[in-house]
Amino acid sequence: MTREGTTYTSSRWRRFLPILFFCGAAALVSYFLGPDRYTQRILLLILLWAAASSSFNIISGYAGQVVFGYMMFVGTGAYITVLLFKFLAITPWLGMWAGSFIAILTALIIGLPTLRLHGAFFAVATVAFPLITFPILNHLGLEELSIPFTGHGAASMQFRDMRFYVLIASCLLAVVLVVVKAVESSRFGFALKALKQNETAAEGMGINTYKSKLMAFLLSAGLGALMGSVYSFGLLYVVTTSAVFGLFIMVRVLSITLVGGVSTLWGPVVAACILVPTGEFLNSQFGDRYPGVQDIIYGIALIAAILYMPEGIWGKIRRWFRAAKSVSPVTPGAAENTPELNKPHLLFEPVHSKDAETPATLPLLTIEGIHKSFGGVHALKDVTLQVPGGKVTGIIGPNGSGKTTLFNVINGFLPPSAGRVVFCGTDITSLSPHASCRLGIGRTFQIPQVFSNMTVMENIMIGAFNRWGNVDKARVVAEQVGQWMGLSHRAYHQAVGLTMWETKILEFSRALATHPKLLLVDEPMAGLNPEESNRIGEIIRRIAESGVTVIVIEHVVHSLVKIADWMVGLDNGSKVAEGPPEEVIANPHIIEAYLGAKWRERHAIR
Amino acid sequence: MSIFIESILSGILIGVSYAILSAGLALIFGVMKIINFAHADFAVLAMYFPTYWFLQWWGIDPFISAFIALPLFFVLGYVTHRLLIERIVGTAEAETSTLIITMGFSLLISNLILIGWSGTPRIINQPYTMATWSIGPILVNRAQTYSFFISLGLIAGLFVLLNRTLIGKAIKAAADDPEGCAYMGINLHFVYALAFALGIAITAAGGCLMATYRPFNPFFGETIIIILFASVILGGMTSITGALLGGLIIGLIQQLSSFVLPIALQNVAVFTVLVLFLYVRPQGILGRKGRAV
Repeated sequence: MTREGTTYTSSRWRRFLPILFFCGAAALVSYFLGPDRYTQRILLLILLWAAASSSFNIISGYAGQVVFGYMMFVGTGAYITVLLFKFLAITPWLGMWAGSFIAILTALIIGLPTLRLHGAFFAVATVAFPLITFPILNHLGLEELSIPFTGHGAASMQFRDMRFYVLIASCLLAVVLVVVKAVESSRFGFALKALKQNETAAEGMGINTYKSKLMAFLLSAGLGALMGSVYSFGLLYVVTTSAVFGLFIMVRVLSITLVGGVSTLWGPVVAACILVPTGEFLNSQFGDRYPGVQDIIYGIALIAAILYMPEGIWGKIRRWFRAAKSVSPVTPGAAENTPELNKPHLLFEPVHSKDAETPATLPLLTIEGIHKSFGGVHALKDVTLQVPGGKVTGIIGPNGSGKTTLFNVINGFLPPSAGRVVFCGTDITSLSPHASCRLGIGRTFQIPQVFSNMTVMENIMIGAFNRWGNVDKARVVAEQVGQWMGLSHRAYHQAVGLTMWETKILEFSRALATHPKLLLVDEPMAGLNPEESNRIGEIIRRIAESGVTVIVIEHVVHSLVKIADWMVGLDNGSKVAEGPPEEVIANPHIIEAYLGAKWRERHAIR
Repeated sequence: MSIFIESILSGILIGVSYAILSAGLALIFGVMKIINFAHADFAVLAMYFPTYWFLQWWGIDPFISAFIALPLFFVLGYVTHRLLIERIVGTAEAETSTLIITMGFSLLISNLILIGWSGTPRIINQPYTMATWSIGPILVNRAQTYSFFISLGLIAGLFVLLNRTLIGKAIKAAADDPEGCAYMGINLHFVYALAFALGIAITAAGGCLMATYRPFNPFFGETIIIILFASVILGGMTSITGALLGGLIIGLIQQLSSFVLPIALQNVAVFTVLVLFLYVRPQGILGRKGRAV
């Protein structure tokens, strides 16, 4: 993962320098502190817990899937390494990688079913695995494994001087932090951040959320197992099930991550530097009189972190730092002073280049006999449609007529009960949302689904990653799209603070950044005033002129008539009208659907 | 044959003890959609205080302590909710946050017990602890039998409270539609606190009853919480009746598994059955379909 950057520029390596510096410094400090076992033990503990917590942070922080059974992987790493060494005399230098590999396999077995669960269910489901492994190992007579002393020294990772272990742990921490940093600043990291905030929107932006979560899970597991190996050789000497599969591992890792700051690179490291020595100190002072004192500290840390400091120590530090820094580029009030920028039509240019020259005559999207029922409710009944390329197709119909369901079927959020969807000659009926986004179907949502805790720029980048895997390239594209759409002045603001108009524009920008051939727009005018509605209409026209086929759902008929080239009327799940807009709105079915049978008669008389 | 019947009987007896413990967990989850990781630790706390110490100090019988524990733990549960849980319920990441915060609280309870009353395993020594009834060749523990009937009584009481009283109806309404409740003038936080307190109280009573025939130590909670989770998941998460059935089934699985598996692997059997069952019926026994479990 880190190798890719070498040919690019050497500056890509510079972001890893602080990590190497910190870990090098830790090793040096340990060297100069001398061979005192107590001091070195604390250093070792800090480094190891920092490494385990940072590994845990990938799946539980960055991807937001809290794995309560994380000790499963620490334990697997420890046990496999020790077992290989004890019974097959395989050196732990190799054994730890075997342990890591087995832990990844275990994570695959655990993750495949459980990652489909959400939130607390996922957490609880994962905790069951170590708690089952525990009695099985005990039953097999592996409750306690002493690491035999072979006298081979370095070859079997057995040193008298604790400083060697600290050195190993520094290297391990460096590896873990480099991986975390690489993840953080890659497309993968952005995908994790996005899916953590809004899985639906992430899927819609071409992110395979399930696969991304699984990858993060495997990465966390593999790195955690390495920590388990070093932990058992450097500190435990006698590996017991309760020492490596116990709930206390989970508690430490969780408190360190939370106190330091979830999804931050340095948070777990900082918190490990504070919590581990505190716990050890209290334990050595009061441990004999109050045996559980260390766990009480961690328990209090957990509660306090959730109640009083949800962003963690590093999160706080980082916010101060950012607040100090971000004053210069965007002066407050600038947004109000430059209202022209809000008018996207001034700057809008075709997003699409030559590659999208689809013959306008051919249908880009064909929907054949789509049925969709939820239990006894038939949301869509035999809907057949052909959407011409390069045009704006409007779908109208009263609330509950099946418009949004149709969209969900087209881009894969819902599988149809019967029928086929063909896009550019490919059958996409059973494709997931992220796959259809990859093929070129973009989408905006009726209730905007922006990633609220990301900046505007990051939001658009998530879309751009659909076509461009490279972070720098995606940033350039996102900047362009942001500029065209008139969001430049807000580029580094959090999406959560945007106005309704800006949020809508952000949704459009993000969808455009995915570089779609077909854009599905769900009720773009809902919640906007008439003037803003007109502007949105203009934007949609321009998008269509740039070669992107657009389908717009709207129940406000008159605003749609102005922008649509072709119109389809839905009522009660069935297609009741199709044709040029003027014809469709004069269609008696549509009038009846909107106003009731009485009005159809009056209209007919006139 | 008599061994088989004996296993079924003891499976039912143990199952009901799990049932009463998990009823509280299901009640709390059903109303607030939060998972209380410290749930079993409240039961363990009740095993020590009042059960064990009241017997030691004043010779109060554990079965009386179970009823003393009800109001004590109702108050404790209420205070816990007000201090810890209330601020998080309703926030975006409430599910995970409460799981974490209750995990921290679980650590506090078990380690404070360890510090205060040492880690020595405790056992209640009453005439009925070891005594048995014999029905022909079948032997049934007396303490377990008493606990069984008291548990049934408490469960019946819980149902009466939930279905027949105004407070119970408010709790059920809050579980169904919190927003609607708020519009109907129901103080949601108060109802949540009551539900939490009620869940803790019933569990504590269940703990007192369990203490009469099972040795316990400060970390006994770690062993049973996972059983309680399994019962509640098996029962369909939000349904108290489901959790009761789930607890009963798990007790039976544990006892019957000893015919084919070593005792140490009881819980492995429980989880294998749970996983297989969830493949067939992901929403649990009494869960409603469509709930994202």
